[in-house]
Amino acid sequence: MKHIGIVGAGTMGAGIAQAAALAELEVTLYDINTTVLRQSTEKIRTELKQGIQKGKIPPEKLDPTLERIKPRTSISDLSSCDLILEAVIEDLRVKRDLFKRIEENAKSEALLASNTSSLSITAIASSLHRPGRFLGIHFFNPANIMKLVEVVRGRQTSDEVVGQGAAFAKKLGKTPVVVKDTPGFIVNRLARPFYGEALRLLGEHVATVEQIDRIVKTSGDFAMGPFELMDLIGIDINLAVTQSIYDQYFGEPRFRPHPLQQEMVDAGWLGRKSGRGFYNYSESKNQQASGTRKPT
Amino acid sequence: MTKKKSSLPAESVRALVFVAGEIPMVHSYAELCAGRGYAVVIDASLRGSFQSSAQETQFKFASSAPANTSVGIDLTNMDIGRKKMNVTALDRVLPPTAPILTSSVTVTASEQATWIKGKHRLVGIGAFPTLTDRPVVEVAPTVSTPRETLDVVARFFGSLGKEVELVQDRIGMVLPRILCQLVNESMFAVMEDIASPSDIDTAMKLGLRHPHGPIEWGDRIGLPQVHSLLRALEQDLGEDRYRAAPLLTQLALNQASTTNDMQRLPHPQPKESQ
Repeated sequence: MKHIGIVGAGTMGAGIAQAAALAELEVTLYDINTTVLRQSTEKIRTELKQGIQKGKIPPEKLDPTLERIKPRTSISDLSSCDLILEAVIEDLRVKRDLFKRIEENAKSEALLASNTSSLSITAIASSLHRPGRFLGIHFFNPANIMKLVEVVRGRQTSDEVVGQGAAFAKKLGKTPVVVKDTPGFIVNRLARPFYGEALRLLGEHVATVEQIDRIVKTSGDFAMGPFELMDLIGIDINLAVTQSIYDQYFGEPRFRPHPLQQEMVDAGWLGRKSGRGFYNYSESKNQQASGTRKPT
Repeated sequence: MTKKKSSLPAESVRALVFVAGEIPMVHSYAELCAGRGYAVVIDASLRGSFQSSAQETQFKFASSAPANTSVGIDLTNMDIGRKKMNVTALDRVLPPTAPILTSSVTVTASEQATWIKGKHRLVGIGAFPTLTDRPVVEVAPTVSTPRETLDVVARFFGSLGKEVELVQDRIGMVLPRILCQLVNESMFAVMEDIASPSDIDTAMKLGLRHPHGPIEWGDRIGLPQVHSLLRALEQDLGEDRYRAAPLLTQLALNQASTTNDMQRLPHPQPKESQ
């Protein structure tokens, strides 16, 4: 695998493009929006420079890495890619339509992959002529830093394609894990109890937000407590993921969202991004950094 | 409600702690208390449970708590009949001022208090394998627990280098409940064969920076302990979300671990791929 195409130059697309170019793969970064493409390449340049400043990337790699990334606005420019990885919005119809066009333009032996975190790989593949060559390659944000990649085997994905997907992740210095196409794959599904139980403990007044986070971190050695993490992710995003998994499992009670999540979203308390979530971040930045946030 | 002031002896006296319950928590608490200068007596039924006789010789064993015991501890989560015997025995023989600290992870402290006369001195603690040596201990008072008892308990845990986190008296408390639900979900995932146990652990450690993967947590805690807690939660809250994964039940009943024993189970495959 020498040449990959990335479809969608947003945050995830840019991160994957950077990781692939650093691994000395030729990258065609495709997006219909030239502004997004320009911002994306600038972001990659900035990230690479920061990596150099931190001593994580050799300075001589900057220019060759950037030269390997070719921003393009025509889908036909993906025709020579060995792997085409999509990272656009999480909308099944959009992805299905997009992959029909990608397949028309790709060479027949190319692997086609989606970076989706929540949609069914099997459902996306249903629009393709060669569903056996389609799989999920799910990177985690920020894709240029996070080591984990979920390689998702759809109902019709061939064993060979799963192996090639895992090899691609390894080539980028990532650690692939292979997972069947099930709602939430591994991480998004198995993370549900971390948030869900914490919300139930809070809802039942067993302990406060701060207590639960403190106990989880101090006694459990977790890097962040569940409420800190929900505030970081965004309470609305966390609720949407929970709701999606709950729906995809046809109402399995283990995945049921908690009314507190909806209440927080209704209040506009979405976490760090809105200045208030389970903690209040509206004080000065110095106070936030010193951990003096007020629990809500 | 009878309120009697509980107390630890003056610091010059080597206070005596009696520990009963389940392994490895008894070992962990016995070693911690001994390391902090307490005289430790362990329930005689646990004689021979230490890995080496050298470890065992530092402790005394007795079939019941000595009359001069300052703190009685019961660390039973799985065998509730045994727990009731331990707690009622402690209440019978301990001096009226000595607190009874009892794991309230699978039976609430409030329910345990109904077993004994000295309700004022019973306090629930979050005792769960892997968490007993941590710097924070979850403590659950009951409606009968006076401030004086809580002060003594805080002082006792302080002397062990532990900070007390007061929580409501509910099955599972905080961290054991969260951990067991993580383990349970991972057992459903393994049972459904969505990924290998090692890939599940890798994903959770790299994707969410969890200190251990859920399969590792399960094996470290012990699946029978996880299973007992889930059953207690399911019974207490009456919610299907706490139903143990059948694979977890299967392994727990056989005292098995996911990492070492699961590969012996048959692995059904569709005919065409056999």
